[in-house]
Amino acid sequence: MITEELQNCARDLGEALRSSASVQSYLKAQAGCEADPEASDLEKRLQVLYQELVGRQQRGVELQRSEIDAYNVLKSQVHHNPLIQERDAALSLVKQTFTDIADDLNFPLGVEFTTLALASNT
Amino acid sequence: MNIQTLTSTSTELKTGAEQAARELGELLLHTPEYELFLKTLDAVNNNLEVQKISAEIRSHQNAMRWSPGDTGEHDAALTRLEIELEVIQAVQEYRLAEEAACRLFAEVDSIISQAAGVPFATNAKRSGCGCGG
Repeated sequence: MITEELQNCARDLGEALRSSASVQSYLKAQAGCEADPEASDLEKRLQVLYQELVGRQQRGVELQRSEIDAYNVLKSQVHHNPLIQERDAALSLVKQTFTDIADDLNFPLGVEFTTLALASNT
Repeated sequence: MNIQTLTSTSTELKTGAEQAARELGELLLHTPEYELFLKTLDAVNNNLEVQKISAEIRSHQNAMRWSPGDTGEHDAALTRLEIELEVIQAVQEYRLAEEAACRLFAEVDSIISQAAGVPFATNAKRSGCGCGG
């Protein structure tokens, strides 16, 4: 049972993070990617192709060299897209900020907050 | 806005988040779920039966590490010991407390993430390689 005090405190932390320069830059870069037809199309195509290849591999189908090459070409296009690069660089800064803040959260607890919070996902 | 103003604004925001994180940590520390998690963890660590089985597990793992080859006997012993460990009452109580603490932390993470606009725990997790990536 999560108390109101705990909910408010968690919300305060989230809002403080949202106001940080790194999160603001990331959200702006993310919105830029989503609004750009080329960037969003590249990412969608990569995701669909990845799922398809993994699915076939899991069903025991041996992938052709040409299929893997096509995947790598698309992946390279995604990584070289300037908007996606900008967003990924912004996300790296968010991760740095969040990791530092998680240390402050862990300090009174004596354990890693992230380990327990993500335990049910693993 | 000059550089000095930008720097001081950024420091204030970081201090605000740091302060909020410490306060949240203190609140979580005193929740019944987390207190029970720590209490049952302590009980497991001080349980003689658990210590005995854990020592046996380590001994089989070491044997497998230093004498690779046919590990069937050790594998079977490890499976048996892990089952023996899980049926100990202190371990079962710990597992339940751990599950409840994880549920609470996941719920708190979801509130932080929603307010931040970016998933918190996923992005705050340190990578295991020590490369900072």
